[in-house]
Amino acid sequence: MISATDLRLTFGKGTPLENPALQGMSLTVNQGEFVTVIGSNGAGKSTFLNALAGEVMVDSGQIIVDNLDVTRLPTHKRAARVARVFQDPLAGTCENLSIEENLALAIKRGQSRGLTAAVKRQYLGQFRESLATLKLGLENRLGDKMGLLSGGQRQAVSLLMASLTPSSILLLDEHTAALDPKTANFVLELTQQIIEEQKLTALMVTHSMKQALEVGSRTVMLHQGQVVFDIEGKDRDGLEVKDLLGLFEKQRGLQVDDDSLLLG
Amino acid sequence: MLSEIAFYGALETGLIYGLVAFGIYLSFRVLDFPDLTVDGSFPLGAAVAAILIIEGWNPWLATGCAVLAGMAAGAVTAILNVKLNILNLLASILTMIALYSVNLRIMGRPNVALLTEETVLTPWYDLGLAFHQVPVVLFTLVAIASLVLLWRFMKSETGLAMRATGANARMARAQGIATGGMIILGVALSNGLVGLAGALFAQSQGAADVTMGVGVIVIGLASLIGGEAVITPSTVVRALLACVIGAIIYRLAIAFALNADVLGLQAQDLNLITAVLVTLAIVLPGIRTKVTSRFTSKKA
Repeated sequence: MISATDLRLTFGKGTPLENPALQGMSLTVNQGEFVTVIGSNGAGKSTFLNALAGEVMVDSGQIIVDNLDVTRLPTHKRAARVARVFQDPLAGTCENLSIEENLALAIKRGQSRGLTAAVKRQYLGQFRESLATLKLGLENRLGDKMGLLSGGQRQAVSLLMASLTPSSILLLDEHTAALDPKTANFVLELTQQIIEEQKLTALMVTHSMKQALEVGSRTVMLHQGQVVFDIEGKDRDGLEVKDLLGLFEKQRGLQVDDDSLLLG
Repeated sequence: MLSEIAFYGALETGLIYGLVAFGIYLSFRVLDFPDLTVDGSFPLGAAVAAILIIEGWNPWLATGCAVLAGMAAGAVTAILNVKLNILNLLASILTMIALYSVNLRIMGRPNVALLTEETVLTPWYDLGLAFHQVPVVLFTLVAIASLVLLWRFMKSETGLAMRATGANARMARAQGIATGGMIILGVALSNGLVGLAGALFAQSQGAADVTMGVGVIVIGLASLIGGEAVITPSTVVRALLACVIGAIIYRLAIAFALNADVLGLQAQDLNLITAVLVTLAIVLPGIRTKVTSRFTSKKA
């Protein structure tokens, strides 16, 4: 279970560029839930994800991951519990390392690393097996440099890497946004498949309301660094984008002026 | 042409600078950390080894201490960067400057002669090799041993974590790698290798001198870049081989330049030649691709 309580974070405090990114953000995600997070630009989606991952430290509030208070822990000390896929397909993998070396890095996520060979023979079977599920033929290219792969292929491998070892939560930061529509669909289907098969707890930030409603079991909308609404179960079934917009306007008395939210 | 002695002399120093190039490969290439500490850690290794040898220590033990001293110097640079957030290049310059004083303190004077002392080379002179071949044989063994150890390390879990740190720090952190710790370890190892090179250089040249570090960074870089131009560093082994081969080629090129009377170059021109060679090594591969692409586009 992940619980974030009253997170507050202001960038550039005391400067003309002061930007309150999180303003009392609270969210609890239960084991096995797949939550989609939506919000316009500057709503605090990415900052919230970065705060959960440890890439930014909150000014106040508390983050608890499976009964451990991680609020003040740096990224690498949370990595055993928090897995992550970035928006940029190039960010989640090392291009000048081979596919098997990237996977070998991920299989030790959050564990101590010694002086034994990183790519061990006993891993190779598992690597080939999981790569085969992608149906991209990568299981025969273990020694190839990551940089030889396309953005979509790299994002698919990033997903595999994030699910290679157990985690308390999988953070997906608009991980299909930088891909062409066909590849984005492939990666999204793969995401659903992996989350379902491994019964993962996941938080997916998306820019598309349609995607937010189609995928996952619960949808949360952020606005000005807070949760403005949170729907799941029956309330969420059959909901369409225009209903979501209506909900948003009713809750806040605001007009959504971000076109990309409507069109996505 | 080169005399036999000059040829072996170039091999000898080339092998030592190969160790420096290993260190620079670790910092510049693996960690993407431009580290100028080497100009200080090279004479530091020399000073520590020389003083301990004069004190009557076993020369290998003295050389081991030189490695540790180099590692400590590297760790200082990395800690200035990681913990105190000083720009990496500036942090290394600070350590380099500080080491000048430290080295003078260690030696107590600007230079220490080792000509009559027992060094790591002494027992090898009894093996029946020609005098000028002995250092080449020993240093070849040291270079091979270092290459194998470094290669194994790079392929280990910790080594892979270090490579990830330099290539993509954000991804490395997300995988649970303490990137700050990796930078400290890597820059320390890098300067440990340079300390080793300094210790061996002092013992083969018969003296440690406080100014012997000037320009070591450029020579190491010249070796690294030159080697990469000859051997494409597509794998770790190839990258490490490129370091040694680049260093040997560099020393041979210098020896040729100084021996070719037609050019009229003298020993004091060394730094100028080095700068020219480094510039050529950086620029030539780019020109080569430009020329080939021009040819291929003509064909098309």
